Amino acid sequence: MADTIKLSVNGVEVEVQAGKNLVDAVAAVGIEIPHICYHPALGADGNCRMCLVEIEDGRPPLVPACKTRAVEGMKVRLDSEKIKKIQRDIMEFELINHPIDCPICDQAGECILQDYYMKYDGAQSRMRVPQVVKGKKIDFGAGVVHDQERCVLCARCVRFTRLITKTGELGIVNRTDQARVNIFPGRPLSNRYSLNVVDLCPVGAMTSSDFRFKQRAWFLTKSKGICHGCSKGCNIFIDHNREKYQDDIIYRYRPRHNEQVNGYFICDAGRMTYKQENEKRLRTPLASGQQADLESAINALKRRLDQAANPFFVVSPNCSLEQMHAIQQLAAQKKATVSGFSEGYIQEGDGDDWLIQDDKAANRAAFAVLGIDETKEVFNSALKGADLVVNFGNDLSLSGVNNTSLGTAEMAFIGSYANSCADAAAYLVPVASYSEDSGSIINVDGVLQRYETAVKKNVPFPNMLSVIRQLGGGLDDVQAARTSLGNTVEAFKKLDLQNIPAQGLALTASEVGNVTA
Amino acid sequence: MSNRAELIESGKPFAFDAERDAEFERLAKRYPNRDSLILPSLWLIQDQQGWISVESIAYVADRIGTFASQVYEVATFYTMYHLRPMGKYHICVCRTLSCYLLGKQQIVDYLQQELGIRPGQISEDGRFSLEEVECLGHCGSAPVVQINGEFHENMTVDKFKELLSTLK
Repeated sequence: MADTIKLSVNGVEVEVQAGKNLVDAVAAVGIEIPHICYHPALGADGNCRMCLVEIEDGRPPLVPACKTRAVEGMKVRLDSEKIKKIQRDIMEFELINHPIDCPICDQAGECILQDYYMKYDGAQSRMRVPQVVKGKKIDFGAGVVHDQERCVLCARCVRFTRLITKTGELGIVNRTDQARVNIFPGRPLSNRYSLNVVDLCPVGAMTSSDFRFKQRAWFLTKSKGICHGCSKGCNIFIDHNREKYQDDIIYRYRPRHNEQVNGYFICDAGRMTYKQENEKRLRTPLASGQQADLESAINALKRRLDQAANPFFVVSPNCSLEQMHAIQQLAAQKKATVSGFSEGYIQEGDGDDWLIQDDKAANRAAFAVLGIDETKEVFNSALKGADLVVNFGNDLSLSGVNNTSLGTAEMAFIGSYANSCADAAAYLVPVASYSEDSGSIINVDGVLQRYETAVKKNVPFPNMLSVIRQLGGGLDDVQAARTSLGNTVEAFKKLDLQNIPAQGLALTASEVGNVTA
Repeated sequence: MSNRAELIESGKPFAFDAERDAEFERLAKRYPNRDSLILPSLWLIQDQQGWISVESIAYVADRIGTFASQVYEVATFYTMYHLRPMGKYHICVCRTLSCYLLGKQQIVDYLQQELGIRPGQISEDGRFSLEEVECLGHCGSAPVVQINGEFHENMTVDKFKELLSTLK
């Protein structure tokens, strides 16, 4: 635990973490200092002046809280008339040229100007002159659409491209009330994290062309999730909604802060993986190549599995720990070989030194922990003797295995997404994807994380664990799988898999000793 | 000046000529932080081609090794950088206090009538452009006018008549 210091805010003593600026320090104990330009990942800029506070120690009357370090014994005042007037004045200033198009603005409902107006301003406009006209719906590239009139010039987006991605596409050009954010002609946003400027923007100036006008923010259910786009396992919000007479579908992913994994950001590619949760889904169960209802498809597969002389299980590196464990148990019972062969999920050289990883699978690290072989040799030799291949969601076409190379073996596919393996399957069981299921995964850095069910479909897909149970597996549900994992897997014996902390659990070197990074 | 946020393309590539190139290299040694080269580089562009185009900003940004957006910011912030071609003779009339009190308006009125352009405009033949600027720092000899960087002090309408005849 970091050192704490005591300071007083509005005459009330609070204990906060040492070494932080005032905004962050007192926010941790539930006191809000309004701020527009400050963002913890971008540092203090001090341009908005909304966070001005009084410090009663004889120093100059007002200081920006974002640039002031919290120190022992500090006496901070937020509730004086002077501060309240400054907050009103700053809000009035920000709103002079701000278009009142909240009814058609994407940010409405999660907009700092709306919130602060209600909390700190509430005054009528005194402006009797025409508003300054600037550019609307300017395409900044990379799916970012900019509205210069809504912009409050906090420079968060500019600082993001200069300090974080170091690509510097954005700048604030011109001066006075004509100042605006713009790209240099012919050099649009072209970094792989561009859409973070949409989240960073405290107002509706930066919008995502993908999300624009699709949903009002207040209709969205914001569930916690983990991105399965690559092995980083970035923490996300899954924003989904069930419209009247419609199914529950996902409208966007947004980054969720987790200092241990992804900080405040996610990559654009990961952000767009929400699409495959809505589309590209397997829906129709198959039994012996014929369309069937779910129950009969599972029963048919169970009968086929019981008859199989040499069943072979193929596991996807996107399966959760619980699913892999259940698959292993079922395999032991059916005397099946298990392979996690999935080299095609790795796109050599695609990753960078930040969030994007070469490995596009979310849980490959678990293979090593659970002892699932992923070599091509084992896969090929097991495939040769197999008369039934049960594929748990692994898109083998990525790894160069086409359906003809599967030989005479019959194929069963238990997975969420359509791919050529599913096309070739005689038995097909569509199951819940990660946004509709709960599970644990280990990321590339050995951080064990948990995700919970976010989306609830009108007709839910069965989860993979329940399908495995119906096929003869011994684990009742995800809780049972966790208990069993804790009892049987060396790495988890000392851990409480039922209670993984929200920020994830960094497994020690010995626990993931044989995991190759 | 109208919308300074809009840059104009010249339609042809830009590079420093030998003289400005040498000057750029001389300046580059002077600044520990290369971003400091933005202001003098923009002056060099303006010196060379009279105004600052999209191509020239991209050129100096790459040359300095900074973001084009940052050079764009600087070029649009300072009003003494011309973001469009100016007249052959660019006339700046000081409008700050001393010049104002000593009759800059008569000079501006005269020029408007004589050249047919208002401040911020360029004459149709492209020979003259007129601009009212803030203090030029020659208050002791107000009103003062600057033509292509050259100062003309204690200006009167009569003196301007004479001056214009030499320019036309």
